This record gives sequence, structure tokens and C-alpha cells, in this order.
Amino acid sequence: MNADTPDRKRILVVEDEDNIAIALDYLMTREGYEQHRIASGAGAVDLIRKMRPDLVLLDVMLPEVSGYEICQNVRMDPELEGVKILMMTARGSAMERRKGLAMGADGFISKPFELKALRAEVRRILSGEPAPEAKAGPGTARHG
Amino acid sequence: MVERLSLRLRILLFFAALAVGAVAALGLGLWFAVQRAADPALRDTLVPVVVQGVIIAAFMIVALVVWVWYLFDTNVARAIDRLARAIRARTHAEIDRDLTREAEGARYLGDLAPAAQEVTRSLAQTRNALAESVARETTRLAAEKARLETLLADVPVGVLLCTAEHQLVFYNGQAVDLLGSGQAPGLDRNLLDYLREGPVRHAYQRLFDAGDADMASDLLCATANGARIFAGRMRVLRRREAGGAPGYVLTLRDVTQDLAAHASRDALLAEIFERVRRPAANLQTVIGVLSELPDRPGGKPDLSAAMLDEVQALTRAITDLGARYDAIQTDWRPLVQTRSTDLMDSLKARFGAEGLSLNVTDGPALIVQVDGFEIVALLGWLAGRLATEGLAQGFEIALIEEDGPGAVLRLEWVGTALPVGRLDQWLTEQLGPDTGELTARAVLQTHGTEIWPEKTEPGCGAVAMPIRAARRAGRRPPPIARAVVYDFELLSKARNAAVADARLEDLTYVVFDTETTGLSPASDSIVQIAAVRLVNGRRLESEVFDTLVDPGRAIPPLSTDVHGITDSMVRGAPRIEAVGAQFHRFAQGAVLVAHNAPFDMEFLRRNEAGIGARFDNPVLDTVLLSAVVFGQLEEHSLDALTARLGITIPEEARHTAIGDTIATADAFLKLVPMLKARGLNTFGEVLSEVRRHGRLLKDINAPETKDTSRG
Repeated sequence: MNADTPDRKRILVVEDEDNIAIALDYLMTREGYEQHRIASGAGAVDLIRKMRPDLVLLDVMLPEVSGYEICQNVRMDPELEGVKILMMTARGSAMERRKGLAMGADGFISKPFELKALRAEVRRILSGEPAPEAKAGPGTARHG
Repeated sequence: MVERLSLRLRILLFFAALAVGAVAALGLGLWFAVQRAADPALRDTLVPVVVQGVIIAAFMIVALVVWVWYLFDTNVARAIDRLARAIRARTHAEIDRDLTREAEGARYLGDLAPAAQEVTRSLAQTRNALAESVARETTRLAAEKARLETLLADVPVGVLLCTAEHQLVFYNGQAVDLLGSGQAPGLDRNLLDYLREGPVRHAYQRLFDAGDADMASDLLCATANGARIFAGRMRVLRRREAGGAPGYVLTLRDVTQDLAAHASRDALLAEIFERVRRPAANLQTVIGVLSELPDRPGGKPDLSAAMLDEVQALTRAITDLGARYDAIQTDWRPLVQTRSTDLMDSLKARFGAEGLSLNVTDGPALIVQVDGFEIVALLGWLAGRLATEGLAQGFEIALIEEDGPGAVLRLEWVGTALPVGRLDQWLTEQLGPDTGELTARAVLQTHGTEIWPEKTEPGCGAVAMPIRAARRAGRRPPPIARAVVYDFELLSKARNAAVADARLEDLTYVVFDTETTGLSPASDSIVQIAAVRLVNGRRLESEVFDTLVDPGRAIPPLSTDVHGITDSMVRGAPRIEAVGAQFHRFAQGAVLVAHNAPFDMEFLRRNEAGIGARFDNPVLDTVLLSAVVFGQLEEHSLDALTARLGITIPEEARHTAIGDTIATADAFLKLVPMLKARGLNTFGEVLSEVRRHGRLLKDINAPETKDTSRG
């Protein structure tokens, strides 16, 4: 952890699967971000409050507390206004995506994703660009 | 021998005999008188004088007899004839018109005409009284029958009842929808004209062999052209006392779309395996090789590119197939086009039943594709849950139209917002005792959707649930006239192999009329064909054929004046080749009946090559039947015939093809009992009597009578 470097963006990965967490750790670090990880949803919101990350890479299917719930809790806390959220799911239907965006996520990416797409999405969110139009058209709303 | 001659002829012969007898008697008497003269010279003088006198007297006698005969024929014989026919018409064809006109012509018959008038009047009165009491009694039964008919007409599956020979005895509106692509089913038609016969015959045989009336057999059968596939269930009727093979009931449900959905699901599943198996297998090989690398001396091949390739292929396959799965998954669910107003009304009722108030926000009328029962159960349950937890009081619901093909159901309440975690937890619960093990999550899956809390004003809460398929509702379509058509007597109808031996009432008739561009079959063309079917002595209101035909040439104004059909009316209408083929199917197995049939038949037969079918049905001509019943001297135009039989053609229908057809059909139905009263019971008997009356029919019916009835 390089918390003392002020201009590096800080990313928190909330992911219970170790394999993907290791890969994301490697990838985000190489991209020049400061990377942290929590494996359970239960303490995630507290950790976000404590460390104020620039971006949370949030898995939907988590043990105990779901990604949707974490997202909603973060959005309900006015102090966490600047925290961006990118949700990840292995199911990734158009309706799940709409639900994620309705909960206040800034982006939604389906697993499996290509690294190129993930990198682009992280950059887009951190640069503050709005998410593309989220529509319920069957099979149309897909990211990654 | 003499009895077979008509009354008028017999009277003529009687007067002729009278004249001959009188002249002979006069001649004989004078001859005797001359013979008795004593003087031969006087005798010789008298002979030429007497011969002269006899000739003059004979002329006078004959003139007198002819004069008396003429008066007798006009005022007695013809009057009796006309009166007798009128009485017969009233007796057999149930005509109620008074005998005044006939009585006028029979004024020299003393009390006969008034007496006949009294008899027919009393007959009509008795008949009316009987009809009234029968009508009263049948009204109650008819009301019950109508209720049953409505019930059967609204059964959401096609219901058909057939004889053992597969002739249709009953069908409902849904069966017409299912079988009616191109040709609607008709009573007494063969079911196997519409369905492929194998499955139907096999199912019948299975049930027949089992001999158990409570047994039913499921079958899958396709339409004759294979375009639609039905799941069917057959049940054989209880065997009749009279013997003979029993009929059966067949219910049909269209499963074409279900099968297509299954097929697309199967295809997708097969494709998933196909596209995932290969990269997965390759990946295993590459990783296997990689794990052995440290043991290998020498160069290390770079396998990461290979691994990436395979993983990318895997990712693409899963992403692509997942999207397609997502897109088609609701096709497999039994979702129904539901009006938003109906859905909202059900929601209000459900909330009311739970003791909750629901306000419906006005919105555009939409048609949404949902399982209305499940959606109402889900939202009712959710509201109940919110109320029990003390989170909500008054509810408001809105159906919000989206830009795409969907809409969003938004349920809002006064109270506390619902955390998504709590909602997700609730979704795993069962909806209640009415819906068995159905959970909220299952309802969402059925509809391929999700539900989530929405942001609201403080002091309120809301959830949103997208509906995938929604569209603006048009005007409510007029209710489809659902009807059942049946005649259960067909179940016990005797079927004769040959038409000639068939009783008139057992035959099926197609009464038809054509309108043409002119009177010459050689140079003119058909512009309209109208026809109705008569089955078991009844005109079937629902089985009507009425089609304009594009003659491919201008219709002369003189013809338009007759039938009212103009060039613009037939523009875009089908040609005779197509209409003729449809009509041929409509008339299949029936006796063709027309007023002045040779005219219409000639027009049809000249088009047989183009139609690709022969009109070899037996034919009856109502002109000739009228001649048989009413005699040659009467007028036999359609107007005269219908007037005589007490049939009124509505003014607007007069001289239209369908109006004339219906009039001809009704006239024919009244002529049948009159023919039977004359001892003409079978088609063959009528045909030979008709041939005596007209030279025309020889041309219409081929040398030998065709066998068109089904065995």
C-alpha cells in the first residue's frame, strides 16, 4: 500500500473470489492505482467510510451482504458522495444492470470481461464521464 | 293408367268422347230412320240430305262440346288443379298465406274453394297454436342451450365432435381459428381434410380397441399442410344402443409456438456446449503443457498467447450466448397480452382484499405481456409485507411507458424507504397460501425482470419493476363473435354409398349463385360467387361462401345495373382460378343446387382447367323442381317461386348473389317436403322425375350419377 502517494487514485476491490482478486490486484497496481481488497460484504461499507476510495470495484454476489446493498448504503451516505462504484456480476442480465445503476452504481460490468474493457471502464468512471444510457431492451444493455 | 293422367287431360278426353259419341249417336239414329223408309226411291233422295244434316249437326255438336269443355277446363279443371297445389303447398311447405287468390279463380266450384279456405285457415291456426306452445316450451330449453353454447364457445381450446367416419358434427370458434387457415371447417365435412390422418386414426383405433368410454388418448397432430402443430386429446363417445361405431370428441391446442420455443432453446443449449467445449478443452491442454515446462530442458515456448486466445473465445461465447439466452427466455413462459387497465383493476381488488388502499396514477393505456395473476400476487404480497413491517400505509401505483419495447411498474408508498438488502431477502419467500410454493424471485424470473427500491421524496418509499414487453393499446377490438356450430343428428345419420339411393334429407347441399359480366358463358366471366351449405335440412348461418371475383376485364354497365357490382369493387379481388378452387373445396361432397343451374354450371365448367378441379357434383335445378311441384304452366322465376312459397327476400338483398342464394336455399328447403309428398323420396327418384320435366338437366348431370358421399 502506498497511501502516502497523494496523486495515486485509490481502488477498493470487494470480491470474495481469491483468483479474480489476485488478478485485479496485479492489474490495478500495474495501471498505477493504489489497490485494496476486502473479501466479505459485511465490513465493506465501514471500510469505504474509513479509507474513502476513489473507486469501489464491487462484486454483486457476496456472502452476507449483497453488492446492491453496499451500493445503496454508500449512496445513502452523503459523506461518501465522491466515491465511484463499478459493479461486477457473473450473471449480468440487462435487468441486473438496470438494478445496479438504479442503486447508484456508476458502471456495471459482466464477468467474464476482457481486461481491455475493464481498464477502459475504470478510466471512464474515474474521469467522471457519465454511464451510457441504461435501457431495458432485451440483450442490449451489456457492458464489457 | 287413366289415374296417371292429369285431371285436365282426363276431362279433355271425356269431352272428346262425348263429342264423338254424340255425333255417332246422331248419325246412327238417322241411318236407322232412313233405313226404315219403305220407298227405296225416297231412301235414295233422303241419304245425301241426311248426310249433309249429320255433318252440319256434327260440327255444331263438336263446337258446343269444345265450348263447354273450354268453360269446364278454365273454370273447373284448372281451378281444381290450382286449388289442389295451393292446398298441398300449405300442407307440406307450411305456408300461411290465405287461399283468397286461388279461391277467386275457383268461384264456379261452388262451396269447394270456401271449404278449402276454411280447411287451410284452420290448419294454419292449429299449426300456429301448436307452434306457439312448442315455442313456449322450447324457449326455456333454448335459453339453457344458449348458456351451454356460450360456455363451449369460450373454452380456450378448439373442441370438435366427429362421427366414427371423422365427419364433423360440432365445432367451436376456437376450432375455426385453429383449422381455418384458408378454409373454415364445416358441418358434415371430414376432419381428415384439415388434419393429417395418421395420428387421428391411430388414436381413434387405440381408444376403440380399448372400449373404455372413460379413457382418453393424447395425440400430437399437424394440419394437412403441416403449417401448425396441435396437442390434442381424444375421447370416444359412449357406444350407441343402435350399434355402429361411436363418434369422438377431440380437443386441440396450438403448440406450434411452444415447439418452436423448445426448438430454439434446444438449439441454444447445443450451441453452448459446442462453443464452450472446444476452448475449454484447448485450455486444458495448454495449461497441462505449461505445468510440465520446468521439467523440460531447452527452450520454453510462449504459450500465453495461445491461452489468451482460448480464453477470449470462451469469454465471447459465454457473453454472446448469455445475451441470447437473456433475449429469448421470456418466449418460453406462458405470458399473456394484458391490458394495463385490467391489470390495475386486479391490483386494486387485491390490495382491497388485503385491507390496503391503492391509488392508480393515470397513464397511457398499454398492453403488457405478463402473467397477470403472478404479477398481482407479487405486488399484493409485497404491499402486505411492507404494511405488516410498518414501513408503508397508502400505496400508489403507476405503469410508466419507456422509449423501447418495455414499461416500468412503480409502486410508491407513504412511509419508510425499503433497503435493497431487505427486499432481496424477502424475494426468496413464498407469496402465500393461494400460490403454493411460488416465490417472488420465481415470478421475476418468469418475467425476465428484477425489482429494486427507487429514490423518492423523504417520508416515502418506492420500488420499480420493469416489464419487458409493452406497447400502446389500440382501440379495444370488437368482441370476436364466438359461436359453436353443431348438429348432433348427424351422429346417427345413415350414409348411403350412392347419391341416387340417398334420401333427400340425408344429402348435403351447396346452394349457390353466380353474378357475371354478361349472359354468354363463351365470352363473359364470373364476378361473384355466393353459396350456403344445407346440412340435415338446415341452412347453416355460419357456413357461407361469398366472394367477389376479378374478371380481368371491364364489367359492362348493363350488367352492373343488374347486380350492382362495379369495376372498382372487383379491383384487387382474387381471380376465378383461386376463387373457383376455394368454392370447389366448399362444395366438396355436396349436391350443387342453383336456380337455373345450367347457366351457373356452364360458367364454372368453362373454368375447370384454370381451377384445376372438376365440378362433377350431382346438380339440382330449382326451376325444374318448381316445375315438378307446381306444374309446367306456372311461372318459375325466383321471385315467383319464393312468392308462392311465402319467402320474402329483403329489398337490399334482392339480386345480390348472397340474397338470391339464401332465397333459393330457403325455397329448396320448402320444396323438399313437397317432393316427398309426391312420393319422390330419394335423389334418384327426383332426378328421373325432373328429367321428365326438363331437357336441361341431362346436360348438367353426367350420364351416370356420381358417387360423392363419403362411405
